[in-house]
Amino acid sequence: MMKPQSVAIIGASSNPVKVGYVILNNYIEEGYQGRLYPINPNDDKILGLKAYKSVLEVRDRIDLAVIAVPAAIVPKVLEECGRAKVRSVVVVSGGFAEIGDQKLEDKIVAIANKYKMPMIGPNCLGVMDPRSRIDTLFLPTFKLSKPKIGGVSFVCQSGAVGSTVLDLIAKEGFGLSKFISYGNAAQVDEVDLFEYLMEDDETKVIIMYIEGVKRGREFFEIGKRLSMKKPVVVLKGGVTEGGAVAAHSHTAALAGSHEAYDAVFRQCGFAIARDLTELLHYGKIFASEIEPKGDRIAIITNGGGTGVLTTDAVFNAGLKMAEFSSQTKSTLKKKMPSTVNIANPLDLVGDADDRRYEDALNLLAQDKNVEMLIVIALFQTPGADEKLSERLVHLKSSIDKPMIVISIGAGYTEERKIFMENNGLPVYDSPAAAANSLAELLKYAKYKKKMV
Amino acid sequence: MQLVEYTAAARLLNSYGIKSVDSRYVRSADDAIRFSGGKKIALKAISSKALHKTKAGLIKLNLLEGEEISTAFADLERRARKFKPYKILAQKMSAPGIEIIIGGREDRQFGRMLLLGLGGIYVETFKDFALRVCPITRFDAKEMIAQLKSRSVVTYSGKSEKMLEELLLRASRLISESKLSELDLNPVIIREDGYEVVDIRILR
Repeated sequence: MMKPQSVAIIGASSNPVKVGYVILNNYIEEGYQGRLYPINPNDDKILGLKAYKSVLEVRDRIDLAVIAVPAAIVPKVLEECGRAKVRSVVVVSGGFAEIGDQKLEDKIVAIANKYKMPMIGPNCLGVMDPRSRIDTLFLPTFKLSKPKIGGVSFVCQSGAVGSTVLDLIAKEGFGLSKFISYGNAAQVDEVDLFEYLMEDDETKVIIMYIEGVKRGREFFEIGKRLSMKKPVVVLKGGVTEGGAVAAHSHTAALAGSHEAYDAVFRQCGFAIARDLTELLHYGKIFASEIEPKGDRIAIITNGGGTGVLTTDAVFNAGLKMAEFSSQTKSTLKKKMPSTVNIANPLDLVGDADDRRYEDALNLLAQDKNVEMLIVIALFQTPGADEKLSERLVHLKSSIDKPMIVISIGAGYTEERKIFMENNGLPVYDSPAAAANSLAELLKYAKYKKKMV
Repeated sequence: MQLVEYTAAARLLNSYGIKSVDSRYVRSADDAIRFSGGKKIALKAISSKALHKTKAGLIKLNLLEGEEISTAFADLERRARKFKPYKILAQKMSAPGIEIIIGGREDRQFGRMLLLGLGGIYVETFKDFALRVCPITRFDAKEMIAQLKSRSVVTYSGKSEKMLEELLLRASRLISESKLSELDLNPVIIREDGYEVVDIRILR
């Protein structure tokens, strides 16, 4: 399904407002290298490609069929896919259990099962893999920035959340391995997807948005195994379930469905995001594949107030501020201008340039009391420019301690931010986002070692 | 779901090595005085119709003198009248400590779960609790304790923390193996050197 050599698009259309047009056009525009078969009984040629009346007419093995036809005729075309020995299907069409038609949904599941065809959907965006350039999404490419190739796989029940987060992943600058929007999870569900992603070597990190799971106990069991191999960040929508109506006991009154999900995520060692922003922030820190050593943080800044705010964020996240060794302090005193107060946060003051950052970072990196580095680079100051962002990227690879950057601002800052992100240096635009992300990283490392 | 009778519930706990306070049903004030043997006792009216004993005034604590016990017994009988049928349970008073809750319930999606929280009258106010899917591991037990905001209140030392871990592991086994629908051990009184379950509610 993710690396198909041949794709049939059932419901492909020459009419640009149709979903079937957008899907086919995306394959063409993105330079998909496999064989494409548009299927539509009313056309001979679509977007310059020969069209077929049904998959049964195609004399080739079809690895993936994308179905984008009205719900009522999905059973018919699915049956044809089965007979044509199509190896996997994505049903993009809506109009099934989500509008109350469980019977129609059961019917298509029965057909898919009869032919042992894995089926994603219905009512979904489907799958995207930037490596194989497969993309079943019906969203015009010019409206959606697509992420670069990378190690984060994004599993998403909702199509709307899926497309917005994809757009934001592209903006944040970290790379995508697989995107899977699985809609109603009629056949392929979270458990199947976890099994797949656990074994997928291209996937280093999993981020997911879910509203509920289909097989709770299996989800819990595979979730525990999965997070021992790869970090998982989860955001769950729909936290209320009518509260604790008619609870018999204190326990039942306290621990409703939402709390149960929360408990399962914790027990599985997942990082729990409270909103879309956190989902992206945590995804980014795990994507950086930083190995945390401990919770003692050094902050280097060119703005005093932001240093203070970041110190607060560090404490709020349950991390500690490192106490610099006396050797570090005396060397810093010699190397830094007299305006720099030697303390943590280390305020290099407003005229700091890339050289001053370099001197300070190299010293702190050698201090045994420092385990992680937060570098605040405010590009509004005169000394901070392109050279600073380049220097930081360079230092990231020469320093063997986890290092992240906080840069806050618009225009020019955004440019510098994207430059650093694209070179593998995680950048955050708020102290809390940076500190909480480091805390999650550390929590996961402890979970893997079964340390409390 | 069926409420398990109190003394049967206490025996079930005991079979998993979970200690509850010495309790038995008493038929009269004199019976209660005999049970007390000169030590402080509590009297509780037990009825499946009264879910919150404290709210309904069905609990009398710290009774020592004969007259005190007799007055309390009579008052309980009067209050319990509207919850018929009921029985009156006498319990030895537990030495003071911190009140926690250990509970269990069956979740539709994930199956049986175990809860640990700051207990007694604070349960609903602070909602400071940790939840896990049963059966739990020792790591889970440690994490549950660490997750509580009231951790430093609930555990006195490394020793009492170990004791609580052990108790959680036993409760998890009880919930899973005995296939309980709901369990409330509230309160459990924790001291530096031991603990006792003071009230039990089990639904099967």
